Amino acid sequence: MSTTKTYSVAVDGAGPAEVSVAEYGAGQPFLLLHGGAGPQSVAGFAEKFAATHQVRVLVPTHPGFGGTARPESVGTIPALAALYQGLLDQLDLADVTVIGNSLGGWIAAEIALLESARVSGIVLIDAVGIEVPGHPVADFFTLTMDEVFARSFHDPDQFRIDPATLPPAAQAIAAGNRAAIATYAGSGMTDPALVGRLGTLEIPTLVLWGESDGMVDVDYGRAYAAAIPMAQFQLLPDTGHSPQLETPDQVITAIWDSANTDFSAFTR
Amino acid sequence: MSKTAVTRITHSCHLIEIGGRTFLTDPWFSTRPGYYQGEPIAVAIPDLPKLDGVLISHEHYDHCDLDAFAAYRDRSVPLFVAETVVSTARRHGFTNVTALAPWEQAEVGGVSITAAPGKHGVYEVTFVLRAGSDAVYFAGDTMLIPELADIPKRLGHISLALLPTNGLHIRPANNMQVVMNADEAAELTAILKPELAIPHHYTFTKGFLGDRLITHSDKNPLHFQDASRTLAPETSVRIVEPGIRIEL
Repeated sequence: MSTTKTYSVAVDGAGPAEVSVAEYGAGQPFLLLHGGAGPQSVAGFAEKFAATHQVRVLVPTHPGFGGTARPESVGTIPALAALYQGLLDQLDLADVTVIGNSLGGWIAAEIALLESARVSGIVLIDAVGIEVPGHPVADFFTLTMDEVFARSFHDPDQFRIDPATLPPAAQAIAAGNRAAIATYAGSGMTDPALVGRLGTLEIPTLVLWGESDGMVDVDYGRAYAAAIPMAQFQLLPDTGHSPQLETPDQVITAIWDSANTDFSAFTR
Repeated sequence: MSKTAVTRITHSCHLIEIGGRTFLTDPWFSTRPGYYQGEPIAVAIPDLPKLDGVLISHEHYDHCDLDAFAAYRDRSVPLFVAETVVSTARRHGFTNVTALAPWEQAEVGGVSITAAPGKHGVYEVTFVLRAGSDAVYFAGDTMLIPELADIPKRLGHISLALLPTNGLHIRPANNMQVVMNADEAAELTAILKPELAIPHHYTFTKGFLGDRLITHSDKNPLHFQDASRTLAPETSVRIVEPGIRIEL
Protein backbone atom coordinates (compact mmCIF):
# COMPACT_ATOMS: atom_id res chain seq x y z
CA MET A 1 0.00 0.00 0.00
CA SER A 2 1.55 3.29 -1.04
CA THR A 3 0.64 6.86 -1.75
CA THR A 4 2.33 8.83 -4.52
CA LYS A 5 2.87 12.57 -4.44
CA THR A 6 4.67 14.95 -6.75
CA TYR A 7 6.97 17.40 -5.01
CA SER A 8 8.36 20.58 -6.47
CA VAL A 9 11.91 20.75 -5.14
CA ALA A 10 14.21 23.76 -5.39
CA VAL A 11 17.39 23.07 -7.36
CA ASP A 12 20.41 25.28 -6.85
CA GLY A 13 20.94 27.64 -9.76
CA ALA A 14 17.77 26.59 -11.58
CA GLY A 15 14.01 26.58 -11.19
CA PRO A 16 12.27 23.93 -9.12
CA ALA A 17 12.19 20.35 -10.39
CA GLU A 18 9.22 18.04 -10.01
CA VAL A 19 9.79 14.61 -8.59
CA SER A 20 7.25 11.84 -8.07
CA VAL A 21 7.65 10.03 -4.74
CA ALA A 22 5.86 6.84 -3.69
CA GLU A 23 5.64 6.48 0.06
CA TYR A 24 5.18 3.28 2.04
CA GLY A 25 4.49 2.92 5.77
CA ALA A 26 5.34 5.19 8.71
CA GLY A 27 8.19 5.40 11.20
CA GLN A 28 11.98 5.40 10.86
CA PRO A 29 12.66 7.03 7.45
CA PHE A 30 14.44 5.42 4.49
CA LEU A 31 15.05 6.93 1.06
CA LEU A 32 15.13 4.08 -1.47
CA LEU A 33 16.71 4.85 -4.84
CA HIS A 34 16.09 2.66 -7.87
CA GLY A 35 18.58 1.77 -10.54
CA GLY A 36 18.28 1.65 -14.32
CA ALA A 37 15.51 -0.94 -14.06
CA GLY A 38 13.20 1.81 -12.81
CA PRO A 39 11.02 2.33 -9.73
CA GLN A 40 9.20 -0.99 -10.10
CA SER A 41 12.50 -2.75 -9.34
CA VAL A 42 12.32 -1.48 -5.75
CA ALA A 43 8.55 -1.07 -5.17
CA GLY A 44 7.93 -4.61 -3.87
CA PHE A 45 10.90 -4.38 -1.54
CA ALA A 46 9.69 -1.00 -0.22
CA GLU A 47 6.25 -2.39 0.54
CA LYS A 48 7.66 -5.48 2.23
CA PHE A 49 10.23 -3.52 4.28
CA ALA A 50 7.62 -0.99 5.48
CA ALA A 51 5.21 -3.76 6.47
CA THR A 52 7.82 -5.96 8.15
CA HIS A 53 9.42 -3.33 10.37
CA GLN A 54 6.94 -0.43 10.56
CA VAL A 55 9.28 1.96 8.75
CA ARG A 56 8.67 4.78 6.28
CA VAL A 57 10.12 4.18 2.84
CA LEU A 58 10.21 6.97 0.27
CA VAL A 59 10.76 5.89 -3.34
CA PRO A 60 11.32 8.74 -5.78
CA THR A 61 11.20 8.15 -9.50
CA HIS A 62 14.32 9.74 -10.94
CA PRO A 63 13.10 12.40 -13.39
CA GLY A 64 13.04 10.87 -16.87
CA PHE A 65 12.27 7.34 -15.62
CA GLY A 66 8.83 5.76 -15.56
CA GLY A 67 7.47 8.16 -18.17
CA THR A 68 8.18 11.27 -16.06
CA ALA A 69 9.66 14.47 -17.43
CA ARG A 70 13.29 15.34 -16.80
CA PRO A 71 14.07 19.06 -16.45
CA GLU A 72 17.23 20.29 -18.15
CA SER A 73 18.66 21.28 -14.77
CA VAL A 74 18.73 17.65 -13.59
CA GLY A 75 21.01 15.70 -15.90
CA THR A 76 23.80 14.23 -13.77
CA ILE A 77 24.13 11.93 -10.78
CA PRO A 78 25.33 14.81 -8.52
CA ALA A 79 22.32 16.84 -9.66
CA LEU A 80 20.02 13.98 -8.64
CA ALA A 81 21.81 13.83 -5.28
CA ALA A 82 21.25 17.56 -4.75
CA LEU A 83 17.61 17.14 -5.77
CA TYR A 84 17.06 14.44 -3.15
CA GLN A 85 18.88 16.37 -0.47
CA GLY A 86 16.48 19.21 -1.25
CA LEU A 87 13.58 16.77 -0.93
CA LEU A 88 14.78 15.63 2.51
CA ASP A 89 15.10 19.28 3.56
CA GLN A 90 11.61 20.03 2.29
CA LEU A 91 10.18 17.05 4.19
CA ASP A 92 12.26 18.02 7.26
CA LEU A 93 13.39 14.43 7.79
CA ALA A 94 16.11 13.35 10.23
CA ASP A 95 18.14 10.16 10.70
CA VAL A 96 17.46 9.05 7.12
CA THR A 97 19.14 5.92 5.77
CA VAL A 98 19.57 6.14 2.00
CA ILE A 99 19.42 2.79 0.23
CA GLY A 100 20.34 2.59 -3.44
CA ASN A 101 20.59 -0.21 -5.98
CA SER A 102 22.92 0.00 -9.00
CA LEU A 103 22.59 3.55 -10.36
CA GLY A 104 20.65 4.38 -7.17
CA GLY A 105 23.67 3.31 -5.13
CA TRP A 106 25.80 5.81 -7.03
CA ILE A 107 23.25 8.52 -6.21
CA ALA A 108 23.33 7.42 -2.54
CA ALA A 109 27.12 7.76 -2.49
CA GLU A 110 26.85 11.27 -3.96
CA ILE A 111 24.19 12.17 -1.36
CA ALA A 112 26.57 11.03 1.39
CA LEU A 113 29.26 13.30 -0.04
CA LEU A 114 26.94 16.28 0.44
CA GLU A 115 27.28 15.62 4.20
CA SER A 116 23.74 16.55 5.14
CA ALA A 117 23.17 15.90 8.84
CA ARG A 118 19.74 14.56 7.84
CA VAL A 119 21.39 11.49 6.30
CA SER A 120 22.77 9.15 8.95
CA GLY A 121 23.75 6.14 6.84
CA ILE A 122 23.86 4.64 3.36
CA VAL A 123 23.25 1.14 2.05
CA LEU A 124 24.79 0.47 -1.36
CA ILE A 125 23.32 -2.57 -3.10
CA ASP A 126 25.31 -3.65 -6.16
CA ALA A 127 26.09 0.01 -6.79
CA VAL A 128 27.83 1.44 -9.85
CA GLY A 129 29.75 4.72 -10.11
CA ILE A 130 33.38 3.97 -9.30
CA GLU A 131 36.09 2.77 -11.66
CA VAL A 132 37.80 -0.44 -10.62
CA PRO A 133 40.68 -1.49 -12.91
CA GLY A 134 40.01 -4.92 -14.40
CA HIS A 135 36.40 -4.91 -13.21
CA PRO A 136 34.35 -2.81 -15.64
CA VAL A 137 30.64 -2.30 -15.26
CA ALA A 138 28.93 -4.34 -18.00
CA ASP A 139 27.91 -2.08 -20.88
CA PHE A 140 24.14 -2.17 -20.67
CA PHE A 141 23.81 -0.44 -24.04
CA THR A 142 25.63 -3.13 -26.03
CA LEU A 143 23.92 -6.10 -24.39
CA THR A 144 20.74 -7.72 -25.66
CA MET A 145 17.89 -7.75 -23.16
CA ASP A 146 18.38 -11.51 -22.91
CA GLU A 147 21.99 -10.93 -21.89
CA VAL A 148 20.93 -8.22 -19.41
CA PHE A 149 18.55 -10.65 -17.70
CA ALA A 150 21.16 -13.42 -17.68
CA ARG A 151 23.72 -11.13 -16.05
CA SER A 152 21.30 -9.48 -13.65
CA PHE A 153 19.73 -12.44 -11.89
CA HIS A 154 20.85 -15.58 -10.13
CA ASP A 155 17.74 -17.24 -11.56
CA PRO A 156 16.87 -15.16 -14.63
CA ASP A 157 13.97 -17.30 -15.84
CA GLN A 158 11.71 -15.93 -13.10
CA PHE A 159 12.19 -12.41 -14.37
CA ARG A 160 12.81 -12.68 -18.12
CA ILE A 161 10.39 -10.81 -20.36
CA ASP A 162 10.39 -10.21 -24.09
CA PRO A 163 10.34 -6.42 -24.56
CA ALA A 164 8.79 -6.86 -27.99
CA THR A 165 5.63 -8.24 -26.35
CA LEU A 166 5.14 -5.17 -24.15
CA PRO A 167 2.28 -2.78 -25.00
CA PRO A 168 3.37 0.41 -26.76
CA ALA A 169 3.04 2.57 -23.63
CA ALA A 170 5.34 0.26 -21.69
CA GLN A 171 7.80 0.20 -24.59
CA ALA A 172 7.83 4.02 -24.56
CA ILE A 173 8.59 4.02 -20.83
CA ALA A 174 11.40 1.49 -21.36
CA ALA A 175 12.88 3.70 -24.09
CA GLY A 176 12.62 6.70 -21.76
CA ASN A 177 14.37 4.79 -18.99
CA ARG A 178 17.15 3.86 -21.39
CA ALA A 179 17.60 7.48 -22.43
CA ALA A 180 17.62 8.56 -18.78
CA ILE A 181 20.34 6.04 -17.93
CA ALA A 182 22.45 7.37 -20.80
CA THR A 183 21.93 10.95 -19.64
CA TYR A 184 22.71 10.38 -16.00
CA ALA A 185 25.39 7.70 -16.16
CA GLY A 186 26.69 7.42 -19.73
CA SER A 187 27.63 4.02 -21.09
CA GLY A 188 30.53 3.55 -18.66
CA MET A 189 28.36 4.16 -15.58
CA THR A 190 31.36 5.53 -13.71
CA ASP A 191 32.91 8.76 -12.51
CA PRO A 192 36.71 8.31 -12.44
CA ALA A 193 37.02 10.78 -9.56
CA LEU A 194 34.38 9.17 -7.35
CA VAL A 195 36.51 6.49 -5.73
CA GLY A 196 38.96 9.09 -4.44
CA ARG A 197 36.22 11.36 -3.14
CA LEU A 198 34.65 8.51 -1.17
CA GLY A 199 37.74 8.38 1.04
CA THR A 200 36.53 11.49 2.85
CA LEU A 201 33.26 9.92 4.00
CA GLU A 202 32.62 9.38 7.70
CA ILE A 203 29.08 8.09 7.32
CA PRO A 204 28.03 4.58 8.44
CA THR A 205 27.93 2.51 5.26
CA LEU A 206 26.73 -1.00 4.46
CA VAL A 207 27.68 -2.45 1.07
CA LEU A 208 25.55 -5.44 0.02
CA TRP A 209 26.43 -7.47 -3.07
CA GLY A 210 24.66 -10.28 -4.90
CA GLU A 211 27.08 -13.16 -5.36
CA SER A 212 25.68 -13.84 -8.85
CA ASP A 213 25.86 -10.24 -10.09
CA GLY A 214 27.07 -10.38 -13.70
CA MET A 215 26.65 -6.65 -14.33
CA VAL A 216 29.06 -5.51 -11.61
CA ASP A 217 31.17 -8.28 -10.12
CA VAL A 218 31.84 -9.07 -6.48
CA ASP A 219 35.41 -7.72 -6.50
CA TYR A 220 34.02 -4.41 -7.71
CA GLY A 221 31.73 -4.47 -4.67
CA ARG A 222 34.62 -5.18 -2.33
CA ALA A 223 36.53 -2.27 -3.91
CA TYR A 224 33.51 -0.03 -3.32
CA ALA A 225 33.46 -0.93 0.38
CA ALA A 226 37.24 -0.54 0.63
CA ALA A 227 36.97 3.00 -0.78
CA ILE A 228 34.70 4.15 2.08
CA PRO A 229 36.24 4.34 5.56
CA MET A 230 34.55 1.99 8.05
CA ALA A 231 32.18 0.59 5.38
CA GLN A 232 31.05 -3.00 5.98
CA PHE A 233 30.71 -5.45 3.10
CA GLN A 234 28.31 -8.37 2.98
CA LEU A 235 27.97 -10.91 0.18
CA LEU A 236 24.44 -12.15 -0.46
CA PRO A 237 24.14 -15.71 -1.84
CA ASP A 238 21.76 -16.88 -4.57
CA THR A 239 21.02 -13.40 -5.86
CA GLY A 240 22.26 -11.09 -8.60
CA HIS A 241 22.44 -7.41 -9.51
CA SER A 242 19.10 -6.50 -7.90
CA PRO A 243 18.92 -8.45 -4.62
CA GLN A 244 16.03 -6.32 -3.37
CA LEU A 245 14.01 -7.64 -6.32
CA GLU A 246 15.25 -11.23 -6.44
CA THR A 247 15.62 -11.94 -2.71
CA PRO A 248 13.96 -9.08 -0.77
CA ASP A 249 13.76 -10.94 2.55
CA GLN A 250 17.50 -11.45 2.50
CA VAL A 251 18.11 -7.73 1.98
CA ILE A 252 15.69 -6.72 4.73
CA THR A 253 17.46 -9.06 7.15
CA ALA A 254 20.90 -7.83 6.05
CA ILE A 255 19.92 -4.24 6.86
CA TRP A 256 17.76 -4.71 9.93
CA ASP A 257 19.95 -7.28 11.65
CA SER A 258 23.28 -5.81 10.54
CA ALA A 259 24.34 -5.42 14.20
CA ASN A 260 24.48 -9.21 14.36
CA THR A 261 26.40 -9.78 11.12
CA ASP A 262 29.92 -11.18 11.27
CA PHE A 263 31.36 -9.05 8.50
CA SER A 264 34.74 -10.73 8.82
CA ALA A 265 33.15 -13.74 7.13
CA PHE A 266 32.96 -11.73 3.90
CA THR A 267 36.55 -10.49 3.79
CA ARG A 268 39.16 -12.33 1.77
CA MET B 1 26.21 32.96 48.75
CA SER B 2 25.32 31.88 45.22
CA LYS B 3 24.15 28.32 44.81
CA THR B 4 26.02 25.61 43.00
CA ALA B 5 23.86 24.47 40.09
CA VAL B 6 24.02 22.56 36.85
CA THR B 7 21.99 22.97 33.68
CA ARG B 8 22.41 20.14 31.21
CA ILE B 9 22.49 21.62 27.68
CA THR B 10 22.82 18.30 25.85
CA HIS B 11 24.93 15.12 25.93
CA SER B 12 28.01 16.07 28.07
CA CYS B 13 27.58 19.79 27.54
CA HIS B 14 26.57 21.50 30.80
CA LEU B 15 26.49 24.92 32.36
CA ILE B 16 27.96 24.68 35.85
CA GLU B 17 27.40 27.56 38.28
CA ILE B 18 29.78 27.46 41.22
CA GLY B 19 31.28 30.15 43.46
CA GLY B 20 29.34 32.80 41.57
CA ARG B 21 31.04 31.81 38.29
CA THR B 22 29.66 29.99 35.27
CA PHE B 23 31.48 27.29 33.32
CA LEU B 24 30.60 25.40 30.16
CA THR B 25 31.70 21.79 29.64
CA ASP B 26 32.41 19.90 26.41
CA PRO B 27 30.60 22.17 23.91
CA TRP B 28 28.40 20.42 21.31
CA PHE B 29 25.99 22.63 19.43
CA SER B 30 25.58 21.12 15.95
CA THR B 31 24.99 17.77 14.22
CA ARG B 32 26.84 15.87 11.51
CA PRO B 33 26.01 12.71 9.59
CA GLY B 34 26.26 9.89 12.12
CA TYR B 35 26.56 12.16 15.19
CA TYR B 36 23.31 13.00 16.92
CA GLN B 37 22.58 14.16 20.47
CA GLY B 38 19.41 12.07 20.61
CA GLU B 39 17.92 14.85 22.76
CA PRO B 40 17.40 18.60 22.36
CA ILE B 41 20.18 21.18 22.51
CA ALA B 42 18.59 23.27 25.26
CA VAL B 43 20.62 26.46 24.84
CA ALA B 44 21.81 27.95 21.56
CA ILE B 45 25.21 29.65 21.42
CA PRO B 46 23.81 33.23 21.25
CA ASP B 47 21.72 32.46 24.35
CA LEU B 48 24.63 31.28 26.50
CA PRO B 49 25.25 33.39 29.60
CA LYS B 50 28.58 35.12 30.10
CA LEU B 51 31.03 32.29 30.68
CA ASP B 52 33.92 32.47 33.12
CA GLY B 53 35.53 29.35 31.72
CA VAL B 54 35.10 26.41 29.35
CA LEU B 55 36.29 22.87 30.10
CA ILE B 56 37.05 20.47 27.23
CA SER B 57 37.92 16.86 28.03
CA HIS B 58 39.14 15.71 24.58
CA GLU B 59 38.98 16.53 20.91
CA HIS B 60 36.12 14.32 19.70
CA TYR B 61 33.48 16.28 17.80
CA ASP B 62 30.67 15.50 20.28
CA HIS B 63 32.76 17.04 23.09
CA CYS B 64 34.75 19.71 21.27
CA ASP B 65 32.52 21.29 18.65
CA LEU B 66 34.69 24.34 18.17
CA ASP B 67 33.45 24.87 14.59
CA ALA B 68 30.13 25.83 16.17
CA PHE B 69 31.36 27.21 19.50
CA ALA B 70 33.70 29.67 17.72
CA ALA B 71 30.53 31.71 17.24
CA TYR B 72 30.48 32.44 21.00
CA ARG B 73 30.62 36.19 21.50
CA ASP B 74 33.95 36.28 23.39
CA ARG B 75 36.80 34.15 22.16
CA SER B 76 39.00 35.43 24.96
CA VAL B 77 36.96 33.30 27.37
CA PRO B 78 39.40 31.08 29.33
CA LEU B 79 39.50 27.53 27.97
CA PHE B 80 40.86 24.73 30.19
CA VAL B 81 41.49 21.73 28.02
CA ALA B 82 43.25 18.44 27.44
CA GLU B 83 46.58 19.24 25.82
CA THR B 84 45.41 17.60 22.56
CA VAL B 85 42.78 20.34 22.22
CA VAL B 86 45.13 23.33 22.49
CA SER B 87 46.12 23.74 18.85
CA THR B 88 42.61 23.31 17.46
CA ALA B 89 41.25 25.78 20.03
CA ARG B 90 43.81 28.39 19.03
CA ARG B 91 43.13 27.70 15.36
CA HIS B 92 39.47 28.52 16.05
CA GLY B 93 40.47 31.91 17.41
CA PHE B 94 40.37 31.24 21.14
CA THR B 95 43.13 33.32 22.69
CA ASN B 96 43.16 32.17 26.32
CA VAL B 97 43.77 28.42 26.20
CA THR B 98 45.33 26.49 29.07
CA ALA B 99 46.21 22.79 28.89
CA LEU B 100 45.75 20.95 32.17
CA ALA B 101 47.32 17.53 32.71
CA PRO B 102 45.93 15.29 35.46
CA TRP B 103 46.18 16.93 38.90
CA GLU B 104 47.28 20.27 37.46
CA GLN B 105 45.24 23.18 38.71
CA ALA B 106 44.14 26.63 37.58
CA GLU B 107 41.94 29.25 39.18
CA VAL B 108 39.25 31.60 37.90
CA GLY B 109 37.65 34.14 40.22
CA GLY B 110 37.98 32.03 43.33
CA VAL B 111 37.00 28.74 41.64
CA SER B 112 39.74 26.13 41.35
CA ILE B 113 39.81 23.96 38.24
CA THR B 114 41.73 20.72 38.59
CA ALA B 115 42.20 18.20 35.85
CA ALA B 116 41.77 14.56 36.81
CA PRO B 117 42.72 11.45 34.86
CA GLY B 118 40.57 9.91 32.17
CA LYS B 119 40.73 7.09 29.66
CA HIS B 120 38.93 6.93 26.34
CA GLY B 121 39.68 6.03 22.72
CA VAL B 122 41.91 9.11 22.67
CA TYR B 123 43.75 11.08 25.39
CA GLU B 124 41.22 12.56 27.80
CA VAL B 125 41.17 14.44 31.09
CA THR B 126 38.26 14.99 33.45
CA PHE B 127 37.79 17.98 35.76
CA VAL B 128 36.93 18.99 39.30
CA LEU B 129 35.63 22.52 39.97
CA ARG B 130 35.77 23.66 43.59
CA ALA B 131 34.59 26.76 45.44
CA GLY B 132 34.61 26.50 49.21
CA SER B 133 32.98 23.29 50.35
CA ASP B 134 31.22 22.66 47.01
CA ALA B 135 32.93 20.62 44.31
CA VAL B 136 31.61 19.39 40.96
CA TYR B 137 33.25 16.47 39.15
CA PHE B 138 32.80 16.42 35.35
CA ALA B 139 33.71 13.02 33.93
CA GLY B 140 33.46 13.72 30.18
CA ASP B 141 33.13 10.28 28.63
CA THR B 142 35.89 8.45 30.45
CA MET B 143 36.15 4.79 31.25
CA LEU B 144 36.25 3.81 34.91
CA ILE B 145 39.95 3.56 35.76
CA PRO B 146 41.62 2.96 39.14
CA GLU B 147 43.19 6.43 39.15
CA LEU B 148 39.74 8.00 39.58
CA ALA B 149 39.67 6.59 43.12
CA ASP B 150 42.37 9.17 43.93
CA ILE B 151 40.00 12.08 43.29
CA PRO B 152 38.50 12.29 46.80
CA LYS B 153 41.89 11.51 48.37
CA ARG B 154 43.64 14.32 46.50
CA LEU B 155 40.86 16.84 45.95
CA GLY B 156 38.51 16.29 48.86
CA HIS B 157 34.78 15.73 49.00
CA ILE B 158 32.81 15.86 45.76
CA SER B 159 29.32 17.35 46.08
CA LEU B 160 28.00 16.71 42.59
CA ALA B 161 29.17 14.22 39.94
CA LEU B 162 28.33 14.42 36.23
CA LEU B 163 28.97 10.95 34.87
CA PRO B 164 28.71 9.17 31.50
CA THR B 165 26.72 5.95 31.63
CA ASN B 166 26.28 4.52 28.12
CA GLY B 167 29.21 2.07 28.08
CA LEU B 168 29.86 2.94 24.45
CA HIS B 169 31.49 0.13 22.45
CA ILE B 170 33.07 0.53 19.00
CA ARG B 171 32.06 -2.50 16.96
CA PRO B 172 34.75 -2.34 14.21
CA ALA B 173 37.48 -2.02 16.90
CA ASN B 174 36.88 -5.53 18.25
CA ASN B 175 33.87 -4.11 20.11
CA MET B 176 36.22 -2.12 22.33
CA GLN B 177 34.56 -0.32 25.26
CA VAL B 178 35.50 3.37 25.41
CA VAL B 179 33.07 4.86 27.96
CA MET B 180 32.06 3.64 31.42
CA ASN B 181 28.75 1.82 31.66
CA ALA B 182 25.91 2.24 34.16
CA ASP B 183 27.34 -0.24 36.68
CA GLU B 184 30.81 1.31 36.45
CA ALA B 185 29.35 4.81 36.86
CA ALA B 186 27.55 3.58 39.98
CA GLU B 187 30.83 2.10 41.21
CA LEU B 188 32.51 5.48 40.71
CA THR B 189 29.61 7.15 42.51
CA ALA B 190 30.27 4.87 45.48
CA ILE B 191 33.92 5.98 45.43
CA LEU B 192 33.21 9.71 45.08
CA LYS B 193 30.23 9.70 47.49
CA PRO B 194 28.64 12.90 46.13
CA GLU B 195 25.33 14.14 47.47
CA LEU B 196 24.02 14.23 43.90
CA ALA B 197 24.93 12.40 40.70
CA ILE B 198 23.56 13.28 37.28
CA PRO B 199 24.09 10.92 34.31
CA HIS B 200 24.97 12.26 30.89
CA HIS B 201 26.20 10.91 27.53
CA TYR B 202 23.44 8.30 27.18
CA THR B 203 21.06 9.45 24.43
CA PHE B 204 23.86 9.81 21.86
CA THR B 205 23.13 7.95 18.64
CA LYS B 206 24.95 7.40 15.38
CA GLY B 207 21.59 6.93 13.71
CA PHE B 208 19.74 3.84 12.53
CA LEU B 209 22.65 2.30 10.66
CA GLY B 210 25.52 3.67 12.77
CA ASP B 211 24.07 2.15 15.93
CA ARG B 212 24.12 -1.18 14.13
CA LEU B 213 27.45 -0.97 12.30
CA ILE B 214 29.70 1.30 14.37
CA THR B 215 28.59 1.75 17.97
CA HIS B 216 26.77 -0.15 20.67
CA SER B 217 25.54 1.70 23.76
CA ASP B 218 23.06 1.70 26.63
CA LYS B 219 20.61 4.56 26.10
CA ASN B 220 18.65 4.02 29.33
CA PRO B 221 19.87 6.17 32.27
CA LEU B 222 17.59 4.25 34.63
CA HIS B 223 20.20 1.49 34.60
CA PHE B 224 22.58 3.90 36.34
CA GLN B 225 19.93 5.00 38.80
CA ASP B 226 19.13 1.37 39.63
CA ALA B 227 22.78 0.39 40.01
CA SER B 228 23.46 3.41 42.23
CA ARG B 229 20.63 2.46 44.56
CA THR B 230 22.56 -0.70 45.31
CA LEU B 231 26.16 0.51 45.16
CA ALA B 232 25.85 4.13 46.34
CA PRO B 233 22.57 4.36 48.28
CA GLU B 234 23.50 7.62 49.98
CA THR B 235 23.83 9.48 46.70
CA SER B 236 20.75 10.94 45.10
CA VAL B 237 20.65 10.25 41.34
CA ARG B 238 18.63 12.61 39.17
CA ILE B 239 17.99 12.07 35.51
CA VAL B 240 17.84 15.57 34.08
CA GLU B 241 16.29 16.63 30.80
CA PRO B 242 18.23 19.24 28.81
CA GLY B 243 17.40 22.77 29.89
CA ILE B 244 16.49 21.94 33.49
CA ARG B 245 18.57 23.74 36.14
CA ILE B 246 19.37 21.66 39.19
CA GLU B 247 20.63 23.31 42.36
CA LEU B 248 22.77 21.42 44.77
